[in-house]
Amino acid sequence: MTRITDTIARALSGFRSTPMSRAFGSWLGKIAGGFLALLVLTAIFAPWITPFDYAAQDLTNGNAPPGWPHLLGTDQFGRDVLSRVIYGARTSLSVSATAIAISITVGMTLGAAAGYFGGFFERAVMTVVDLTWSFPDILIALIFVAIIGPGLTSTTFAIAIAYLAQFTRLTRAQIVRLKQETFIEVTINLGAKPYHILLKHLLPNAIAPVIVVGMLAIGDGIVLEATLGFFGLGAQPPTPSWGAMMSSGTAKLFLSPWVIIFPGVVVAVTVIAVNLFGDELIRALDIRDRIRDS
Amino acid sequence: MTNLLEVRNLSKQFKSSGGPFRKPRAMYAVNDVSFDLPKGRVIGVVGESGCGKSTLARLILRLIEPSTGSLRFDGDDLRAKSPAAMRRLRADMQMVFQDPYSAIDPRYTITRALIEPFVVQGRYTNGTADQEVSELLTMVGLSPGLASSFPHQISGGQKQRVGIARALALRPRLLVLDEPTASLDVSVQAQIISLLEKLHDDLGLTYLFISHDLSLVRYFCDEILVMYLGRVVEALPETDATVRHPYTATLMDSTFAPDPRQRRIIAPLEGEVPSPFDQPPGCAFADRCPRATAICRSETPVLSTAFGHAVACHNPL
Repeated sequence: MTRITDTIARALSGFRSTPMSRAFGSWLGKIAGGFLALLVLTAIFAPWITPFDYAAQDLTNGNAPPGWPHLLGTDQFGRDVLSRVIYGARTSLSVSATAIAISITVGMTLGAAAGYFGGFFERAVMTVVDLTWSFPDILIALIFVAIIGPGLTSTTFAIAIAYLAQFTRLTRAQIVRLKQETFIEVTINLGAKPYHILLKHLLPNAIAPVIVVGMLAIGDGIVLEATLGFFGLGAQPPTPSWGAMMSSGTAKLFLSPWVIIFPGVVVAVTVIAVNLFGDELIRALDIRDRIRDS
Repeated sequence: MTNLLEVRNLSKQFKSSGGPFRKPRAMYAVNDVSFDLPKGRVIGVVGESGCGKSTLARLILRLIEPSTGSLRFDGDDLRAKSPAAMRRLRADMQMVFQDPYSAIDPRYTITRALIEPFVVQGRYTNGTADQEVSELLTMVGLSPGLASSFPHQISGGQKQRVGIARALALRPRLLVLDEPTASLDVSVQAQIISLLEKLHDDLGLTYLFISHDLSLVRYFCDEILVMYLGRVVEALPETDATVRHPYTATLMDSTFAPDPRQRRIIAPLEGEVPSPFDQPPGCAFADRCPRATAICRSETPVLSTAFGHAVACHNPL
C-alpha cells in the first residue's frame, strides 16, 4: 500500500517540477509561454478563426484602414490583413520549426559522431560544418533558390543549413565533455557496444541544451524566413507570410501603414516571446554554462 | 594455487604530439610491471598520486591499451582477444571506481543502473529483473526500497555500494578496486571496507586493491606492490614483511598512529616527485632518498630478490 502511495506521490512531485512547468513559473515565463501557446493554437486552427479567406480579393475595398469588418484593415488588393497575419503564422512557424528540426537532427548526428569517434573524422566534419557557418544566410538561401527555385522548400533548407553549425558544435562539445565521466568508463567496462554508450548514455545527457538552443533558434528562423520572404525568395503569392506581407506593404507605406505594421509587430513580439521563454527554460534546466561551452 | 591474473612487463607510454615550437615528448605512466594474482588473493597497489596505479588498473582491464607487455586472465591471453570476445569477457573482470559521484548516469534510477550489466551482456530477462535488483541491493547492505531513487537522492556511501553491486551483478571473478574509499567520509570508508571483506569471503572473489593509503592496504591485503613513478619498487609478499626500499619505509613512517601515546616525529619526504617526462638515468627516487649514492644517479635499479623479496634499490635497508 505504501508503495502505491509512494509511487503516486513521486509521480505527482515529478509532474509538478518538470523543467517546462518551472519555466512557466515566473510571470515573464507565463506571459511569453502563454503568447507562444496562443500563437501555435491560432496557427493550427487558422481556418476556423480567420474572419475572411486570406486570398479573397476585393479590389473596390483596397487599403481600407482598420475598422469593421476588417479589424486590421485590408491590403492593396482588398485582402483582410488579420486573416493573412493569422495564416502567416502557419507559414512562419511551420517553415522555421521544420527547418530547425532538420538542423537539429542532422547537427546532433554529426556532432555526436564527431565527438564520439574523434580523430580525423571529427576534424573533417567540423571543418565542413564551420564552412557552412562562414557563408551569409542570405547567400545560402540564394544558392537554394538558384537550384530549386524560390519557395518554402528553399527557405526551409536555407534556414536548416544556417543553423547546422550551431547544433553540431553544441552536441559535439556535450559529447566530448560527457565522454570523460566515470559512468561512461563503467559502461565500457561492463562490455557495452558503442551504440549502447552513444544512445543510452551520451545522447540522453546531451539533449537538453540542444533542445533549448533549438527553441531559441526557431525565433531566429522566423526572422530569417521573414527576411527571405521580404526579398521574394520565400513564400510565393498568394501564400501569406509575414515577410512577404511587409514587402508588399512598402509600396504604400505612408498611405496604408497598417499593411506593414501589423505583420512587423507580430514578428517582433513572437521573437521576443521565443527568446524570453527560451531564457526561462535555460534557467529552469540550469544549463547556462553548458550552452556556453560550445 | 593457480593464478587468475598474470601481468608481465606491462608498460604504457603516453606521447604528447609535437608542434612547430614543441618537441614531441613521451612518458611512461606504467613501466615494466610484472606480478601474479593468485585466485582468491588480495593484492594491494600503493603509491603517491600520479605514480600510475590507476593507469595500471585500466591497463589490466584493457580500458587503456598497453604499449607493451602481456596480460593473462585465467590462462587466456587478454591482449589477443577480439573486441567482441573482450566485451564478453568483461563480465568476469569488473572494477569499482574511485568517484562514486559520477559513476552512475544521473538520468538512471538505481534499478536501471543495476539492470544495465545484464542488458549489456544480453542476459536480461524481464521477469527476474526486480528480484535481481533487490538481491544485489541486499547483498551490499542497502534497502531494496532505494531501487527507484536517482543517484542525486542518495549519499556518497550509498552510491559506492550501488557501484559495488553493479560490479558484482555479473558474478565476476576479478574485482579491481580503484581507491574505492578515497572520496568518502572516514566512517563510511570503514563500512565499505568491511563490506568488501565480507564479499571477498562470501563470493570467493579475487581483488586488486589500489590505494594511496598504506595503512589501509596493510590491513586489507595479502600482498603489497609499492609503485613509484610507474615502476614497482618493492613487492611485499606479506603485509608484515620487513621493508627494504627506502621509499616504502618513508611511506610507512608517514602513516599516523591513532594512539596519542605513540605520537612521534615523522620525517616528511623532501622535494617533489620528478617529472615523468624525459627522466634522467638512475633511480627515480634518488633525489628524495636519504640513502642515495653515486650509482643511484647513473644506473636504474631493477627488481631483485637478493634480499628476500623483490626490491628495486641499490642500497636497500
